[in-house]
Amino acid sequence: MGEAIAFYTLAAFILGFAVLVITTKDTVHSVLFLVLDFLFVAALYVMLNAPFLAAIQVLVYAGGIVVLYLFVVMLVNLKRLPEAFQDPNRHGRIGLILSVAVLLELAAIAALGVGSVAPVRTAARALPVTGNTEQVGWMLYTSYLIPFEIASMLLLVAMIGAIVLAKREL
Amino acid sequence: MTPLLVAQIGLTLFVFLMLLQSAAVMVYFERKLAAFLQQRVGPTLVGPRGVLQPLADIIKLMFKEELRPGAADPLLFALAPIISATAAFAAFAVVPFGADTTFFGLLDQPMRLQVADVNVAILVIFAISSMSVYGIVLAGWSSNSKYSLLGGLRSSAQMISYELSYGLSLAAVLLIGNSLSLTEIVGAQSGTWFGFIPRWFVFLQPIGFVVYMIAGVAETNRAPFDFPEAEQELVAGYHTEYSSMTFAMFFMAEYINMVTVSAVATDLFLGGWHGPFLPESLGWIWFLVKVAALLFFYVWMRWTLPRYRYDQLMRFGWKILLPVAVLNLLVTAAGVLYFGL
Repeated sequence: MGEAIAFYTLAAFILGFAVLVITTKDTVHSVLFLVLDFLFVAALYVMLNAPFLAAIQVLVYAGGIVVLYLFVVMLVNLKRLPEAFQDPNRHGRIGLILSVAVLLELAAIAALGVGSVAPVRTAARALPVTGNTEQVGWMLYTSYLIPFEIASMLLLVAMIGAIVLAKREL
Repeated sequence: MTPLLVAQIGLTLFVFLMLLQSAAVMVYFERKLAAFLQQRVGPTLVGPRGVLQPLADIIKLMFKEELRPGAADPLLFALAPIISATAAFAAFAVVPFGADTTFFGLLDQPMRLQVADVNVAILVIFAISSMSVYGIVLAGWSSNSKYSLLGGLRSSAQMISYELSYGLSLAAVLLIGNSLSLTEIVGAQSGTWFGFIPRWFVFLQPIGFVVYMIAGVAETNRAPFDFPEAEQELVAGYHTEYSSMTFAMFFMAEYINMVTVSAVATDLFLGGWHGPFLPESLGWIWFLVKVAALLFFYVWMRWTLPRYRYDQLMRFGWKILLPVAVLNLLVTAAGVLYFGL
């Protein structure tokens, strides 16, 4: 019972801040709502007994990536928007189609998914290590090694791309 | 309420008050030491040898008028110093500063001298210090002044750059200590090698310790890396527009961050509360001595070294400190694997 109350409270905050992120006019305020959103997601991880993931969430997302967002937002002058972005309804039709598609997808998952898919219970499988941090490390380097390597390749490519774009002559 | 709960609440209050007054003590200490290094006398008028000077400063700050620029963002302008101060206090919550104690038999079971025993303590400290960037960035942006904005931007760039080396130097200690919990890392540093060298990680990680201290100075925006508030170029940097107690909160946060960085360095590299001559129950005296020595080093450095240039700071951070930290981590990992420490 208590767990359910905590979960729905956190979920309500997460969704509420997510809505505020996209509806707030001031870009800096919007980025700060994103920080709050990430902090509440970290609280969700704490609730799931994953303190390591919670700390990493705060460290990487709330403390690292969003600071870079803030950096960009502050350096770029957003007071005077370009002409093309003045009309808020410019992508109204595409937005409507996309949101209906996502809604249908979620509804399909909710309707068809229950019962037909075995619940993922990787944590329950016997791991040779105990402790949240050790388990995350173990899973990352055994079951999820290929996704992990692909993600790191992707980041490497992005980094090289950024360097090539920034440096005219190498 | 159980006695343990009462003791825990009392300890929390005690740590809070100690941190609060550590800023005042540090101000006096720094002014006296600066005066000594520059062959002056420092504060002498208020109280014997000027010891009440910090108190006079606080009273003065409290009675100053609080100003807010007309074009400032009111909410963020008020929020920024609160974020800075909160992050400074919160980080110390997971720092252990003494062996388990029963307070001379008052408690049934021993209690840990630590506000919150989190098993990922190091990551928590790291996460909170990464959040403290917001206080400075928002202060710079919300003031709507070019000096504040430049100070805030410089600070965030500096903190992001040095956070990497800071984290990598911590990671090397984690490998040796084989834990993310500060209490366990301190526990791994008890005893001696060959009977006389204390088992402190600073002897296994000399490069890591140097990288940690340099990055720590940059993280707390102290001289010679105090660009966010370079007076000659930026007036007072991110807190140019702040006055009265809001300014005092930034000031206090800076000093408390210094104390926290020193306390974490003591736990990670200098064996925490372990030391010769004293029994385990009085280990907190060793802890205080070590923290005080590191704080002395901080002040000594500020009044000895001139400020770097901004591009030198960036070049040093990315091209020297970061590669050294990465190499140190690789060598440590290879060593742990080979010797099975």
